[in-house]
Amino acid sequence: MIGTILSTLLFIAILGLIFSEKINRTIVAFAGAILMVGLGRVLGFYSEAQAIAAIDFKTLGVLLGMMILVALLEPTGVFQYLAVWAGRLSRGKPIRLLILMGTVTTVLSMFLDNVTTVVLIAPVTILISEILGISPLPYLMAEALLSDTGGVATLLGDPPNILIASAAGFSFVDFLTHSLPIVIVAWLVALAIMRYLFRNELAVIPENPAAIFRLDVSEILTDRVTARRVLIVLGVALLVLFFQGLLGISPAFIALCAAAAALVWVRPDPSKILKQVEWSVLVFFSALFVMVGGLEATGALKTLVSILDNFGNVAPVIFGVILIWLVAGISAVVDNVPVTIALIPIIQGLGASGMNTDPLFWALVFGAGFGGNGTIIGSTANIVVANLSERTRTPITSKLWNKRGLPVMLATCLVASVLYVIAFPLFSR
Amino acid sequence: MNIKDCMKRDVISISPTMTVRDAAMLVVERHIGLLPVIDDEDKLIGAIGLHDLLTLELPDFVNFIADVDFVHDFGAVETTRPASYLLERPVSSLMQPAISVDEECGLLRSYAIMLQHQLLDLPVVSAEGKLMGLASRVDICAAVLAGWKIEPSGQP
Repeated sequence: MIGTILSTLLFIAILGLIFSEKINRTIVAFAGAILMVGLGRVLGFYSEAQAIAAIDFKTLGVLLGMMILVALLEPTGVFQYLAVWAGRLSRGKPIRLLILMGTVTTVLSMFLDNVTTVVLIAPVTILISEILGISPLPYLMAEALLSDTGGVATLLGDPPNILIASAAGFSFVDFLTHSLPIVIVAWLVALAIMRYLFRNELAVIPENPAAIFRLDVSEILTDRVTARRVLIVLGVALLVLFFQGLLGISPAFIALCAAAAALVWVRPDPSKILKQVEWSVLVFFSALFVMVGGLEATGALKTLVSILDNFGNVAPVIFGVILIWLVAGISAVVDNVPVTIALIPIIQGLGASGMNTDPLFWALVFGAGFGGNGTIIGSTANIVVANLSERTRTPITSKLWNKRGLPVMLATCLVASVLYVIAFPLFSR
Repeated sequence: MNIKDCMKRDVISISPTMTVRDAAMLVVERHIGLLPVIDDEDKLIGAIGLHDLLTLELPDFVNFIADVDFVHDFGAVETTRPASYLLERPVSSLMQPAISVDEECGLLRSYAIMLQHQLLDLPVVSAEGKLMGLASRVDICAAVLAGWKIEPSGQP
């Protein structure tokens, strides 16, 4: 009993520290995980072997594999190439530019990390809008909002999706059949809302759009050979992911295979590539797994599950919709990764007591994914874009985000809820 | 030889309450690169240079792009002027903390400080912090190189 209370208090304190963002989240989580194991050893509820078993290596494998591929792809200039290509294709017409830049960012972030995508695309966006003499504001916000939205569509798109896929056993194809259709509708709605909210900015017609045709696309792609090789490997990996269920292999194995194949084919300086891997993210995830594992081991989560189980009379569809909005609300103000990692065992616990967990996991996907759009600190992509915009003539402020980003979050959650209710039998499988 | 022997003593400076536009006009009229900012007692409190002024015209975004070679035409960036409210702000809003040396500072130490901070002009202050002069890279380097003159005796 004392173990349950102490581990719960520790977990709440660590979450509080992570969400306060006073100290780096990885350091806090790492120290918290060590304290949890220490507490478990002293009170005898959690062994080191249990702690290691609590780490979800399937999630870490997908993350590591994709990080290596991105690290290889980043210096080739292929991201900037796509952004400039979209800029040229728009012929300097604001609305067309919004749609094209949004599409490029969305497609990239469906398969690659949102933050990397935004970090590489946003500077080119600022450049293009400066050259056109228009405000970069609508495009930057659209990129953050649409990359968060697009990421919900696939297994690879967002860390919460990787976590949920691993826990719930959802395949790559499951995401394409369950999540992608909703994301397409939500994406179009988000675009329409931004078209309206930014109508003043988008009404400014560039005086001299010819300058963007003088951006030399061929000079941006600095390493064609590497870009081609990594893209081929990535393409094959995506193809294999389609048949992942049939072949009986995990996304982690596929992602790591792709990373290994790309490394063998490109043969870069490994120290440079491995430096690009975001180890702090991997340590953060592992630490959270260890902490939640400790909570599970004490039975603290069981208590919570049994409380929630009393709501068993509530119709599952209502329960799911509540979950979407609850998770979205939390994810709008705090990091959605700890939220997801903490909720997964709770949902699994509800499953153990007889509830159908699939609809709940899908609700978690939508809530954690779309919720990040709500505030300027809702997702890392938002923070990155806001920081970059501070160095332009039109900085994105928190107030501005509440006016133009929050409506997008509310609308996408609404779309997700409505479609979730309509297609509920599909989500219950 | 110390910095005080090669610096310019007739320095054009500016007060923190003048506007950014005044500072820019002073740069244009006098064709200079750095304006030391001094208070009522002639004490050096900051400096405003070409780079600080130019960031208003060419925003920082260029630094995000690793390589601007592919941008063959800067388009509207070339013709966009800073908003006038920015130009009416006081010099104190844009000035940077001044890096300076005292009058007795050696030439090579002065040069090393300029290199480290990527300065083209270096303000020189008295022990009380009063602005005494300004030395450019050319002033300092020419003074150093003057030491290489072959002596009439034939010994360098």
